[in-house]
Amino acid sequence: MSGLNLRRIDPFRIEIARTPPMRTTGLVYANRAIERTLEHENVLQQVANVAALPGIIGPSMAMPDIHWGYGFPIGGVAAFSRDEGIISPGGVGYDINCGVCCILTGLKIGDVRPRMERLLASLFNNVPSGVGSRNKALAVSNREFLQVLELGARWAVKQGYAPPDDLQAHEDSGCIAGADPDAVSAKALERGQPQLGTLGSGNHFLELDVVDLVADADKAGAFGLFENQVVVLVHTGSRGLGHQICDDYVHEMVSAASRHGIALPDRQLACAPVMSREGREYFAAMASAANFAFANRALIAFLIRETFEQVFGGSAERLGMRLLFDCCHNIAKMEPIEWEGREVQACIHRKGATRALPPGDNRLPRRFMQTGQPVLVPGDMGRMSYILSGAQGARETFFSACHGAGRLLSRHEAKKRSRGRKILEELLSRDIHAMAASRATLAEEIPEAYKDVSDVVDTITGAGIAAAVARLKPFAMVKG
Amino acid sequence: MPYTLIDHTADLGMRVSAPTVEALFVEAALALCDIMGGLTPSEEERLTVRSSGIDRVDLLVRWLQEVLFLVEVKGFRVAKVVVEHLTDTDLRGSLRGACTGEPLKAEVKAVTYHNLEVAHIDNQYVATIILDM
Repeated sequence: MSGLNLRRIDPFRIEIARTPPMRTTGLVYANRAIERTLEHENVLQQVANVAALPGIIGPSMAMPDIHWGYGFPIGGVAAFSRDEGIISPGGVGYDINCGVCCILTGLKIGDVRPRMERLLASLFNNVPSGVGSRNKALAVSNREFLQVLELGARWAVKQGYAPPDDLQAHEDSGCIAGADPDAVSAKALERGQPQLGTLGSGNHFLELDVVDLVADADKAGAFGLFENQVVVLVHTGSRGLGHQICDDYVHEMVSAASRHGIALPDRQLACAPVMSREGREYFAAMASAANFAFANRALIAFLIRETFEQVFGGSAERLGMRLLFDCCHNIAKMEPIEWEGREVQACIHRKGATRALPPGDNRLPRRFMQTGQPVLVPGDMGRMSYILSGAQGARETFFSACHGAGRLLSRHEAKKRSRGRKILEELLSRDIHAMAASRATLAEEIPEAYKDVSDVVDTITGAGIAAAVARLKPFAMVKG
Repeated sequence: MPYTLIDHTADLGMRVSAPTVEALFVEAALALCDIMGGLTPSEEERLTVRSSGIDRVDLLVRWLQEVLFLVEVKGFRVAKVVVEHLTDTDLRGSLRGACTGEPLKAEVKAVTYHNLEVAHIDNQYVATIILDM
């Protein structure tokens, strides 16, 4: 598999032994099926590279949806000491706070089917998607845009785009503290501003699902989920703003790492001490992009609510529409963690991973105190998605879980395998209606380009990090 | 165009080759524009681009990132690329093309440093560059 020394600990965990220059071990969450997907990848070396960075606390971890990234693996989780550790833009990724939200409806699949074509076409028209998509209807002034970066989803609530109640259903109430637009370059502002309220392209999507199976009736009830219910999943992030911020700071930290005496096995791991000038500025810029992403998804949720109102009549509230949860996938956050019997302030990097708080955690809003945080795990466009809840085992991952299925094929390979195939018709044969701004995106996103999300969920629940609540089946989607 | 696509699970790579370092920088910019769908036959406008880096590979990333910004954000479509002055750390070049704003075919988030390499093989300079898509 690789030159690394691997040891299976149990049916859900593989350890990478510590060998120089690693400062700690690697810990990969993988059942046997997931382990087979790791065989042709350089991904485990990336887990080991992260383990070599200064100030890492606990193992360098990888969730079961891990795949080969650039610098850090995608699906990677690493905690660094605030005082002795580093912060890395590459450890967050270019799409800062790429994340997912789930909007519940009170509608059953039988209510939606008769108007499904109109609903899908209206969503496709109303939610801007595709390469370089812009939203002229929701354009904001330069001054207003700075407010978006400071306030995140709170800005959307202030402007009336989202009900105040939604803030209880956002990770960190939809606003990462410490954002400072002064740390954001003019280029990043120019790149991101026209893209507020857009889905984008690539693996970003808007998907209608039906609750296909309820695994835990009590928790499903508490979340507001029931069998045959229609729910909406949205996956997007900070668009060009985040891309440019990451690029600006990776470049700066390539030099900063050298100034701070940090050896980099791969320049994409460029980093600086958390509390250094470069580290603090990056955090302030990253938090600004994260807040943009919270606002972006809140605006898309607004467009979705409006569309449902147009198609079904009545208010979104009467249609039972409310946000179940909105969470980050690509983020660095200052979180207190327990380590070796004491509380330590850490900068936790989650790159293609999501937070997962267990029942009773005092960071949870009251509505999730008994259940744990909803953990949204979207699959590929042809198979299932899952809603889980954070469990007590998440302590060992510093409250982190998987974020999706995880890519298996490169985009290039997926396109090759799609040649000559009618992807839309293939999906339709599975009773899934899709509209895409680009045929190329559809080809890159074919179901077999991803791992089977059920293997990912089997691992994460088997390891006790999260518990299954409900399974979703997609029936309509908009791809960028 | 002297480039090939290479596989990367998360993203897309390109391998570009040229007989000189100057030509390598030109061909890499054209390859990036081709992947994005940012080429045009029109040579109406000329933009000057200046980039700097800590070494040659860093400079290559900075240069391509500048081209990416002009194509994605400014709507510039490229017909011709000229490298006028090049050292290991500084570049002055120009892009000829037109601000057509025509839709792009692919969204490239960034040019990454991951597995970045410039090698000199059989009298050819060869760059391997991973793009985050």
